[in-house]
Amino acid sequence: MRRRIRRRYAAERRFRLLGLGAILLSAAFLAFLLVTMVSNGLGGFRQTEIRVDIDFAANTLSAASAGGEIEAAVAAAAEAQYGPGGARALSDTAWLRVERAIEDDPSILARKKALWLPAASAIDGAAKGDGDGEAEALVTRLEQDDAIRTGFNTDFLTGADATDPAAVGIWGAFKGSLLTMLVTLAIAFPVGVLSAVYLEEYAPRNRWTDMIEVSINNLAAVPSIIFGLLGLAVFLNTFHLPRSAPLVGGLTLALMTMPVIVIAGRNAIKSVPPSIRDAALGIGASKVQVVFHHVLPLALPGILTGTIIGMARALGETAPLLMIGMRAFIATPPDGITSPASVLPVQIFLWSDEVSRGFVEKTSAAIIVLLAFLLAMNGLAIFLRNKFERRW
Amino acid sequence: MEASLKIQILVASVATLALGACGSGEPGSGTAQLQIVGSSTVYPFTTAVAEQFQRTNAGMSAIVESTGTGAGMKLFCAGVGDNFPDMTNASRRIKKSEFDDCAKNGVKTIIEVPVGIDGLALIEARNAPGFQLTVADVYKAVAANPFGKPNTARTWRDVNPSLPAIPIRVFGPPSTSGTRDSFAELILEKGCESDPAMKALKESDKDKHKDLCTKVREDGAWVDAGENDNLLVQKVTQDPGAVGILGYSFLEENADKVRGIPLNGIAPTAETISALSYPGARQVYVYAKGEHVNAVPGMKEFLAEYSKAWGKGGYLERRGLIPSPADVQAKAVQAATQLTALSADGLK
Repeated sequence: MRRRIRRRYAAERRFRLLGLGAILLSAAFLAFLLVTMVSNGLGGFRQTEIRVDIDFAANTLSAASAGGEIEAAVAAAAEAQYGPGGARALSDTAWLRVERAIEDDPSILARKKALWLPAASAIDGAAKGDGDGEAEALVTRLEQDDAIRTGFNTDFLTGADATDPAAVGIWGAFKGSLLTMLVTLAIAFPVGVLSAVYLEEYAPRNRWTDMIEVSINNLAAVPSIIFGLLGLAVFLNTFHLPRSAPLVGGLTLALMTMPVIVIAGRNAIKSVPPSIRDAALGIGASKVQVVFHHVLPLALPGILTGTIIGMARALGETAPLLMIGMRAFIATPPDGITSPASVLPVQIFLWSDEVSRGFVEKTSAAIIVLLAFLLAMNGLAIFLRNKFERRW
Repeated sequence: MEASLKIQILVASVATLALGACGSGEPGSGTAQLQIVGSSTVYPFTTAVAEQFQRTNAGMSAIVESTGTGAGMKLFCAGVGDNFPDMTNASRRIKKSEFDDCAKNGVKTIIEVPVGIDGLALIEARNAPGFQLTVADVYKAVAANPFGKPNTARTWRDVNPSLPAIPIRVFGPPSTSGTRDSFAELILEKGCESDPAMKALKESDKDKHKDLCTKVREDGAWVDAGENDNLLVQKVTQDPGAVGILGYSFLEENADKVRGIPLNGIAPTAETISALSYPGARQVYVYAKGEHVNAVPGMKEFLAEYSKAWGKGGYLERRGLIPSPADVQAKAVQAATQLTALSADGLK
């Protein structure tokens, strides 16, 4: 008897330890992912800058100078100050900052001015401790002159894609993601919620509704690439909507998100106690009033949670967007849902495929931005659920 | 009642979002936009030009999509109009079949611009033994049926007794890639035709020749490494003795991790590739649609920008494109500025 009890306790302990082990394992994986991303990616938010003294009075630059002239003047100033190779220490886009400085304050054209300009990615790497001998030697020399600094990279948060890792930004892809999600939400949420309401409250129980239910469950499990092919065939080839546009991306992802919303919505509506419906009907409310005044508000937290989880999945989706041409190089942030755009996960995919080594840390930095976006969305889901939740 | 108000607010806000989204989606946003598709090898060069083009021509932009040469040609040749790309990048010359396909769909004026040379290189890890290969060795090692017999070679020594007894492992681009097309054409076919019987076969049975010469083995010795060339570099570094095949610019960029393998005694360097003496060097092209030149603003400017960039000391050279010899460059400038149409003669 006692032995049996001991055995039962032992089994209990074993099971508890197994569960704990499973949690620890998944936490370890998550921690590993986060630590690698953060340690690789933090550098991406920082940018090395080099001080260049440009004597505007001595050169022929004016407020109307073309880009090429400014570029040449900056290169000449860098060579004069840091010797041959000085121009190569600066990023290809360094002259843009000089142009901006001239626009902001034309009076600098008459005097000598020290400007902090972005460094080329080889120097950037060396300053962060990952570079070759030549670049490191230059960095040491610059450090002695106090002519190099590493600061927060605001261009990364406000710029769009570029070919030079020192000049890339995430805003273009972020805005593309935002617009795509907007289209997805605008289509998938109303359609999903209305289908859920109809199926739960109005549809008769027969073989047809059973079939629809099975189809919806199936649809939720279809691999996303299939939706991409569907989007390519329907939206691009049949309706001739613009390629690479957030509109098409949003429509495609809406198809993918809708079943998730329908399933979550039905479950939420199902969990509203029938007594509430009966009471409302009993005091003479119409069916529509019952649904909109009582059932939906009570089911809302569940529906919203489902929606946001579906949206979060759509946000991280890459495969279907590749099919509809959202993998293009686009150097300007989109200005509407029909202008070509990229999205965060696709941008990460594109950068991971780049030749230049400076893109490695930018890729990780973009992943951090994507994770932060996802975290914000999931946080919103939890907030909404807690705010609207009602217990009985 | 309070909750229903919340619902109404929610519905209203979703509706506003939808309306707002539609509002900003008015067609014709006013900017001219070039659509460019095609080869992943030419992609980094075209994007660099696109960036510069955008900076110097306010209000114009170009979007570049990397689809692979074959798929790019298919999109490019699909027709004339807004929904079809204006230009395509190609890591090989347009084929006769593609040219005909284009003509059938109304794309009759194709402007061919040879933008420069790209080197395809065979690489190995820095700590690898140091291969010295010939194109015939490579063919015998990776072809599915070298000279008509099933491939039984396990190690490089089976291929050529002077080579080390290291198992054959070759990481190469997949069949959708332009780099693979070039590898088949530049290295496999040449190795294959080292046997006169194969050369004769080309005359008598073209399909069989193609099958025997360019089909790679599927028993694990050849690994399709995907379009991600950085991954390929990583795989080769971690596996001394393995051979990788990729664009020369990747070799240059990763010179501290991998080194080039000499083919027929010629190592892949900037010089041997520019002279097209390294077997893996090839000319790359951009094709523009003549029908769009007048309808799409910016095409001329884009080609002009390209021609400024591909010379010696231009920014494309810094990105790994090797300038063509002067005579080819002169011809290319002429094509880019006078927009001369390509004729079907001489296409394969």
